[in-house]
Amino acid sequence: MQLSLLKEHQLLEGIANNDRKITEQVYRDNYKQVQAWVQGRGGSADDGDDVFQEAMTILFQKAQNEEFRLSCKIGTYLVAIAKYIWYKKLQLQNRRPDFLPFDSGEEDANDIRAYEDDVKVHEEREVYFEQLNAAMEELGEPCKGLLKAFYNENKSMQEIAGLFGYTNPDNAKTQKYKCLARLKKLFYAAQVNK
Amino acid sequence: MNSENNIWTLAEGYLNKSLNAQELDKLDQKITADKEFAQEFQEAIDMLFSLKKNASQKQFKQNLIGIQKKVAQEEKDAPRKISLRLHYLRTAAIAAGVALIASFGTNLWNNRTQANTSKYSELRKVRTEIEGIKQSQNRIIKVLDNKANKPPIDNKYSGTGFALSNDGYIVTNYHVTEGADSLYIQTRDGNYYKAFTVSFDANTDIAILKVESKKFKFSKQGSLPYTFAALKSGLGERIFTLGYPQDEIVYSEGYISSRNGYLGDSMQYRLELPAEPGQSGAPVLDANGVVIGIVTGKETKSVGTTYAVSSNTMLKMLKNLPQSSNIALPKSSKLSKMSRSQQIEKLQDFTCVVNVYK
Repeated sequence: MQLSLLKEHQLLEGIANNDRKITEQVYRDNYKQVQAWVQGRGGSADDGDDVFQEAMTILFQKAQNEEFRLSCKIGTYLVAIAKYIWYKKLQLQNRRPDFLPFDSGEEDANDIRAYEDDVKVHEEREVYFEQLNAAMEELGEPCKGLLKAFYNENKSMQEIAGLFGYTNPDNAKTQKYKCLARLKKLFYAAQVNK
Repeated sequence: MNSENNIWTLAEGYLNKSLNAQELDKLDQKITADKEFAQEFQEAIDMLFSLKKNASQKQFKQNLIGIQKKVAQEEKDAPRKISLRLHYLRTAAIAAGVALIASFGTNLWNNRTQANTSKYSELRKVRTEIEGIKQSQNRIIKVLDNKANKPPIDNKYSGTGFALSNDGYIVTNYHVTEGADSLYIQTRDGNYYKAFTVSFDANTDIAILKVESKKFKFSKQGSLPYTFAALKSGLGERIFTLGYPQDEIVYSEGYISSRNGYLGDSMQYRLELPAEPGQSGAPVLDANGVVIGIVTGKETKSVGTTYAVSSNTMLKMLKNLPQSSNIALPKSSKLSKMSRSQQIEKLQDFTCVVNVYK
């Protein structure tokens, strides 16, 4: 099927399912606009890329929810989110303390503000994932490698048994559960100490 | 340990929807009966869910980085093709022809500024003037030879800029760069360099740009030859400016006719100084070669009245830049004991055209 003929909700579904082709299509359709905008406001091309990718990640997470519907075009959403992220970055760097989108004179200031919550949720999620990654590091080997092989590399228990030297998949599975139990302990300890 | 394993098996089965009705019922009963188990089970579900989400987001981000690399590589490769080079040349020739016709018809610059205000006009230049077309073509060809820096041909506006540091920080007018898709500066030797906006202030009409290339230098000799006046200069002070109203750099001189600018703006000077479109962002220097301001606009109804943002306004803005920009302005002017023509000779190396593409 011609990708350019896909409807917006199909694009969203593709993004949610980590469909690389569709993600690339949406990327190509929109990154230039964000890059040019950021470059016109004190950023470099790399800054533009970073901000755009963060906006794409937010869209990815939002699209995970099956009930998620956009009230605007995907491109409009990405640009508004990117603008919010960039303004916030500028503000954090204290370059322009008064420079939030609301008083920037930006035409779509209200649109940008409408997505403030999306960015906040995303930031909280990033912190959460960082804690999870930290707990994973603390786990050490072989647990770290084993869990990564299963969850990140999508390997089967059969393959994992071979890779990590277990006599059969069931033994590997028992080890995986032990690892999960330890990870859970570490992770919830980190949550409490936060 | 068995009951522990049991929880994970159940949690995995629950998430994969592989539990049958009987197993689900049993699970349900246990959750209602055993509060501790319920808590443990909830945590296990959360854990597995987070692991999956984390992994899929990582995958997504990796995809994005892959796509970005692919796209960047394509952009890098594109201008190297020979056919495209020919295409650029052809477009350049057509653009020059169109420019000729346009300037016989209407003067775009006039139309534009008259719509804004009848009294005050910004000196950004719309590139439709006849003069310099031949030179433009020469430069276009030169640029095409210079594979590394190739701006698009059809720039819409140009202004003047000048160096804040030898390694490529530049000051110009905000109205020159406003809404730009991309910016290229053109130095004295005719080479183009891509630049980006570091900071700007629409109120004072100042924009700070930086040349992207880390190797860029305005001059081999090192530091800036001029300094910036921290206080406002006095009425009647003789001043001069260098700018690019056309492809060739142009010198003009005059004096400070009022210490405040347009409508009494204390951040500006009012000057008696001839200026033309394209000179926006040009440096205004006093007899000792100290920068006292930046040309920003002129009065449309009188011939020689020009306005300039004062250098102390710009210095205030520099203070607010992040420390990483690291602009160290020289403390003494090398131009003070020189004749005017020697001053101009030095200055030319640090003055550039700011080409704006939209």
